[in-house]
Amino acid sequence: MLFNSIDFAVFLPIVFVLYWFVTNKSLKLQNALIVVASYVFYGWWDWRFLSLIFFSTIVDYSVGVKLKTENKQSRRKVLLWTSILVNLGFLGFFKYYNFFLDNFISAFTFFGSEVNANSLNIILPVGISFYTFQTMSYTIDVYKRKLEPTSDFIAFSAFVSFFPQLVAGPIERAAHLLPQFYSKRTFDYAKAVDGMRQILWGLFKKVVIADNCAEFANLIFNNSADYSGSTLVLGAIFFTFQIYGDFSGYSDIAIGTSRLFGFDLMQNFNFPYFSRDIAEFWRRWHISLSTWFRDYLYIPLGGSRGGTWMKIRNTFIIFIVSGFWHGANWTFIVWGALNAIYFLPLLLTNKNRNNLETVAEGRLLPSLKELFFMLLTFGLTVFAWIFFRANDIAHAVNYISEIFSASVVSLPQFDGLNRAVVVLGLMLLFLIIEWAGRFGEYGIDKLGLQWGRPLRWTFYAFLIFIIGMFMKSEESPFIYFQF
Amino acid sequence: MIPFTQNLVKFALFSLFFYAVSLIVWGLLSPQALKPNLNYRKGEGAFMYSRLQEAKEIENVDILFLGSSHAYRGFDNRMYSSKGYKTFNLGSSAQAHSQTLVLIKRYLERLNPKMVIYEVYPETFSNEGVESSLDIISNDNQDLSSLEMTLKINNIKTYNTFLFALGVECLGLYDDFKESMVKNKDSYVSGGFVEKKISHYEPKKFEPMELTFSPAQVDAFTEVMALLKSKNIEVILVFAPISSAQYRRYTNLKYFDSLMRSYSSYYNFNEMLELEDSLHFYDSHHLNQLGVELFNESILGVLADDYN
Repeated sequence: MLFNSIDFAVFLPIVFVLYWFVTNKSLKLQNALIVVASYVFYGWWDWRFLSLIFFSTIVDYSVGVKLKTENKQSRRKVLLWTSILVNLGFLGFFKYYNFFLDNFISAFTFFGSEVNANSLNIILPVGISFYTFQTMSYTIDVYKRKLEPTSDFIAFSAFVSFFPQLVAGPIERAAHLLPQFYSKRTFDYAKAVDGMRQILWGLFKKVVIADNCAEFANLIFNNSADYSGSTLVLGAIFFTFQIYGDFSGYSDIAIGTSRLFGFDLMQNFNFPYFSRDIAEFWRRWHISLSTWFRDYLYIPLGGSRGGTWMKIRNTFIIFIVSGFWHGANWTFIVWGALNAIYFLPLLLTNKNRNNLETVAEGRLLPSLKELFFMLLTFGLTVFAWIFFRANDIAHAVNYISEIFSASVVSLPQFDGLNRAVVVLGLMLLFLIIEWAGRFGEYGIDKLGLQWGRPLRWTFYAFLIFIIGMFMKSEESPFIYFQF
Repeated sequence: MIPFTQNLVKFALFSLFFYAVSLIVWGLLSPQALKPNLNYRKGEGAFMYSRLQEAKEIENVDILFLGSSHAYRGFDNRMYSSKGYKTFNLGSSAQAHSQTLVLIKRYLERLNPKMVIYEVYPETFSNEGVESSLDIISNDNQDLSSLEMTLKINNIKTYNTFLFALGVECLGLYDDFKESMVKNKDSYVSGGFVEKKISHYEPKKFEPMELTFSPAQVDAFTEVMALLKSKNIEVILVFAPISSAQYRRYTNLKYFDSLMRSYSSYYNFNEMLELEDSLHFYDSHHLNQLGVELFNESILGVLADDYN
């Protein structure tokens, strides 16, 4: 079920009414409704894959229960690895089987041998990269005794399948989200209104910014051989805003929806395109995933402790794995490696913890120096996104080669250029609002709170009007559903 | 909880009002590039405004033509008049069957035809009907059938255009609208036909294509046929000639032919007439006036042989 669909527009109020008017008397009923609603939400896409979520839930719940009473370290390790292997096994099979098989065949062919093997027509279950990581965080934290395992199966099922964040995050930590299922939620007016506002902003980002940028990003990337360098630069910028609008828009809708039900999810994006260096960018982009890898991979590997070579090794591992998490293609691995190359100089010179505060704090505009570094970081990010979006390495290399040719010094030319100018105007409006709102949790978090109700409501109604005027008439899925 | 629900309802009503007012103001003042989801086309394209104005005046025809652009560019009323038939052409651009249903619900009683010649171009069965709905909404008055059509199509463009059309109609903003009878190379002929200045088509190749059939359009088509039959109106289904290159691209035409035959008398003029792509067409699927004359002579022959 897509957030930007009529189905969800009908589903959400029904669940909301049932939640606050029917099941609000009992915690167990509230949680049970969350589970049922979440399974309906996920099953709307393909009911067969509910079995995967259910199996993952059973395994990790059981592991948690057993870890509570098991004190022998070797047996605790076995339990932990059972959970990890089941979760990563599902992920590995559904997401990476064909990738490894194809590369295995290519390698053998390269050396002159023939291998007969058939790729499988495997459907990638929506959200598998997200919920497997979420449940693994539970078993890992229980194993490390950072979290008490739960004996409440309904609460645990609700934690695993919680529909607002099930298919594209934020990837919640059990320590943060699971306790919220232990106590009955009571309706909070301010929280619910804030949730609605965040949903509105998320929808604006998705249907106005992301979907309109997608039209031109797809046109240019899919026909890149026909376009000049300047057009390809524009294509990369359109994709940069497409992926941000799409993914952060989804997160905003997920967080806003959760607030409607009394839950607090973690912030997943913190205005990353205003970053002054790559380290800051990675503290602000897909925060739930980058902190997951930091806590469960980077730190156990030694993190930044140890010598220079260990730092370099760990940095490359973390970024390459992060790239690979996104998909079974060498382009994602190269994207990850590129970000590692960007990050390393800062780490090795101990400059990766500069710029901890928000840019231009207390000022309306950035200084020239800040603007320079923001544009530099943005440029590096756009460059890396080319690999992320390209079909394969050859496509990315050809794309970049054309950008660095003489044809970059020409006016962009492509079908729909007039419409693209309008979309650029919308992007500018979007950037202005995001800049003004950069100290909040999302673009319009603090915007208009001091205004009177008529003006505030007019602003929200204006956003709704812009959505109605510029949304694409075909439903479009969120990019991160493919991960 | 109650204050939240109350305020939500108030905000919803306020937004609806703001949306409607903004739609009208924005629609009237801004250029098309700034209103991609509002496509009010009064007087644009293929003379739909004039055709519908005429439909409100004419009564009791012998033959009513329905269908897409192949209808209003293919069935020349003048040729039927010369044989003593009183006809009217209610074709429109990309008319999907859901729009045909709206049109006959509005005009069938007044036009009261003895026979309907229904042009059935296969690709209209896969057409969502959005473009055609905008045409009808922009050029006709709004009523329950246009609301029903809007809800069935369920597309933001249609919703916005419908709301805008309703608004300008209530405000009487286009009551004095007049449409020119000549636009570029097209001329409107009384009775609904559109004649194009002679031009010729340079044939090109097409990739093979399997025709698809949207359940919604098949249902609408079935409903149109049922409505016509309930009025005891003779219905002839016609697949108007298209260029041979385009005709040959369809891989499942046999299925389409048998589907049409299951509804009523059906004539596939691509099999009955031998036309030259470069001589008788002005594009890959529309006849020029030379082709129109040959096509209508053939239909008149069928009427004389089979329906007198």
